[in-house]
Amino acid sequence: MSSSSVEDIPDQCKDLFTQDGVLLKSCSGCSINELNSIGMLCIVRNPDGTKCIEWRPNDLITIDSDTQDQEWAVVNTIGRRQRTLSGNMTSDYATARARIIKIPLDDLKTFRVSRNNQQMQFSTKHGVWQMILYFQHGNAEIFLANLKTHVKTAKSRHERNAYVVVESNTEAQVLNKSFAELDIFTENPTDVVWGFVSNLRQRPYATTMEAFSKLTDIVYNGNEAMNDKRDMSEEVADLLTKSISAMEDTTTTTKSDEYEVISVKPTLPPRPCIPRGTPLSTEKWEGLQDTEGRVAEVDGVKQLIFRGGVAHSIRHAVWKYLLDYYPWNMGHSEIKNLQRRKTEEYFSMKLQWRSMTEGQESRFSEYRDRKSLVEKDVNRTDRTHPFFTGDNNPNLVVLQDILMTYVMYNFDLGYVQGMSDILAPILLLLGNEVDSFWCFAGFMDRIAPNFDMDQAGMKQQLLHLQQLLTFASPELAHHLAQKDSGNMYFCFRWLLVWFKREFSHRDIMRLWEVLWTGLPCANFHLLICVAILDAEKDILISKDYGFTEILKHVNDLSMRLDVDKILSAAEGIYHQIVSAQHLTDQIRVIIGLPTVGTTSQTEGDDDSGDESPTGSQSEAASHSRSESTSHLRSEATTVNGNGTENNDQRVLFTPEMDEVTLEYNGLQISIVTKTVWALLA
Amino acid sequence: MAKTYDYLFKLLLIGDSGVGKTSILFRFSEDAFNISFISTIGIDFKIRTIDLDGKKVKLQIWDTAGQERFRTITTAYYRGSMGIMLVYDVTNEKSFENIKNWIRNIEENASADVEKMILGNKCDLDAKRQVSKERGEQLAIEYQIKFVETSAKDSLNVEYAFYTLARDIKAKMEKKQEASNPPGARSGAHQLRANEQQRKPTSWLSRCSVL
Repeated sequence: MSSSSVEDIPDQCKDLFTQDGVLLKSCSGCSINELNSIGMLCIVRNPDGTKCIEWRPNDLITIDSDTQDQEWAVVNTIGRRQRTLSGNMTSDYATARARIIKIPLDDLKTFRVSRNNQQMQFSTKHGVWQMILYFQHGNAEIFLANLKTHVKTAKSRHERNAYVVVESNTEAQVLNKSFAELDIFTENPTDVVWGFVSNLRQRPYATTMEAFSKLTDIVYNGNEAMNDKRDMSEEVADLLTKSISAMEDTTTTTKSDEYEVISVKPTLPPRPCIPRGTPLSTEKWEGLQDTEGRVAEVDGVKQLIFRGGVAHSIRHAVWKYLLDYYPWNMGHSEIKNLQRRKTEEYFSMKLQWRSMTEGQESRFSEYRDRKSLVEKDVNRTDRTHPFFTGDNNPNLVVLQDILMTYVMYNFDLGYVQGMSDILAPILLLLGNEVDSFWCFAGFMDRIAPNFDMDQAGMKQQLLHLQQLLTFASPELAHHLAQKDSGNMYFCFRWLLVWFKREFSHRDIMRLWEVLWTGLPCANFHLLICVAILDAEKDILISKDYGFTEILKHVNDLSMRLDVDKILSAAEGIYHQIVSAQHLTDQIRVIIGLPTVGTTSQTEGDDDSGDESPTGSQSEAASHSRSESTSHLRSEATTVNGNGTENNDQRVLFTPEMDEVTLEYNGLQISIVTKTVWALLA
Repeated sequence: MAKTYDYLFKLLLIGDSGVGKTSILFRFSEDAFNISFISTIGIDFKIRTIDLDGKKVKLQIWDTAGQERFRTITTAYYRGSMGIMLVYDVTNEKSFENIKNWIRNIEENASADVEKMILGNKCDLDAKRQVSKERGEQLAIEYQIKFVETSAKDSLNVEYAFYTLARDIKAKMEKKQEASNPPGARSGAHQLRANEQQRKPTSWLSRCSVL
């Protein structure tokens, strides 16, 4: 390494990459004054074509800009750093230049990233770190990625997160030549690795086998051209090393025991702040029904409920529709018939277990086990709430009867812990046994996978949550993975009973009714998780919480969460995700968007359970293509919900968003159709 | 930061749903009891530091959901536990029969040298008793595991159980320590501190974590 003055003519050097907020921690042969000062780290191309890493102290850059130096002006525009006024403003150029620290890339032997992307070390001599830098923003990976485009590296076998600079040119030529001879790909040689890599990422197994099969072909069939080539295993090792290091350039890798997730480096657009609306009021609800009680504008109702929930006074009515007990298009008289049918059906199922004799029961262990589980849990469900409090509370009997009848309704699923938590708020609200049962059954239809015998549904959701978090909050996802918490098991309780244990009864009712609308996308409940975790990100990372502390912290959030804030943040995150340039098909599938990279179209997420609104799949697909612009604009979305009952809740959107105004009995409701409906498909 | 304890032990409570795992934990950590506890979903833990033969021992006690269905998730937390309380309900025959399954579950998922203890809980409910104390003792002899009947409600034997398990772990740990340390160095060395244990790569010692 040379820590020297710049001898080249300045305006012929070119900054290829710059990154600010980099603190010099140690450097052999450099002045002690320079240590711990902030500067900018650059990759510079010298006039002779060689490249080097440069660290420049910040005050130096300030001086340069003050003197209107052309060359440094470029640096300043790229730099975007805060100017520091400290330092010796009077230094002349020569001494200022002498303070720049350079490492020619040709001399660079190894480098290493450590401390959670906060530190980078460079070495030009084996076994000695000449320069140690501290990245204030913990973003060393950005510099690393860029550096790797200029030098060929291999992962060190001896040290974690260390890279060895590979003697480049000759080896690369050999590799490219052997690729050409292998004829694995027909593209030009530099694309070979990339082609392999991109295929490897999408279909790792097939791609690897394909490449290897070509290698074996040559081995078995003989190839004159290969005779003077390197050992075959070396070729394969090289191929893999290079493809892996190439992948690292553009990706972050999160590992856990069971899976490995690779995702593209994130650059999410800013999060729009979308205020919550007011709850669907009695007037509006009545206005939305025709004289027969039918609701035609289902999408509009759901949109309103998504925005602000339902006023408590009409919850008991609206929930029956939201939970698929009453069809939206059914009039009063038909509903009366339906109620009669459903009541009969309920009581016939109830009779099935009520009429079981003791003798029968004694020979029916599966039934007995379920009954015992139900009894145990009924006695410990929301007992602090006045509705369920006290000994011999009749509501406990109803709770038990509904759960037992559900065992007969769905014997395969039976009773699983958590179901009593799901039922309690419904029974509390509706009071009526039959209505509560059918609403509970409707809710269970949506979340039955949570209770799978093998827990596959829960595991899939936890995986999806991990993938969403990696996309929306990569820093946190990275931290969790490092702390052995990448499996997201600490969110198990949230997902199993849809946050029932995290909120008060009042708040859980609000959260559930919003989630039941299925808006604005599939698996929105996972974005609720992301929103909660993202709000805790700073604590989890700054306190360097480990495996046990993460679980404790998350468990202790219970009853301390603000439902409206979380809903608002989750919606904001949704908009960030869908308008992100680098939105992947993996994420699209999770939130129920049509994929774009593969041929299979709109394979709906199996547990989304949403009713599809009007509009065909192809419409949905075309909407989603025009969507990135409209979502960006949705930042302008405002909701004017003001308190007076006569005032409409008016949702204002920009004209691009296909605003539709509904009118019922003089009430006007403006809703957006394009964005949200497209996503529901 | 200075350690406020000499050892950190990770313990685990397992057993069928509703046998009283959370109540036992609550009795031990808060010295309280509530007849209408809520069921445990997923996993949680509580901390209590006890004094054991002049040493401060921090017990990190993990409480799990009992229903079999959740076992794929809860067993992930077995890793690194040094002691396991197997709990059954003396008023529930089935929960007693299932102790054998739980022991098999431990063998599959926890380290082989984990300390175990069987607790027959709810022994205050004599009128409803389905499992006699003798049967509990017999099972314990069969598996060579310590056994005690407890009542979280009446605060009977709960302290005793945790102290006993902790003492056994401590003894086993110190024995290992002696075996690996040359006798000459022993007099001044004392025992491993929690933070030093982390560097040991072997068995459950390596899973000590610092709260």
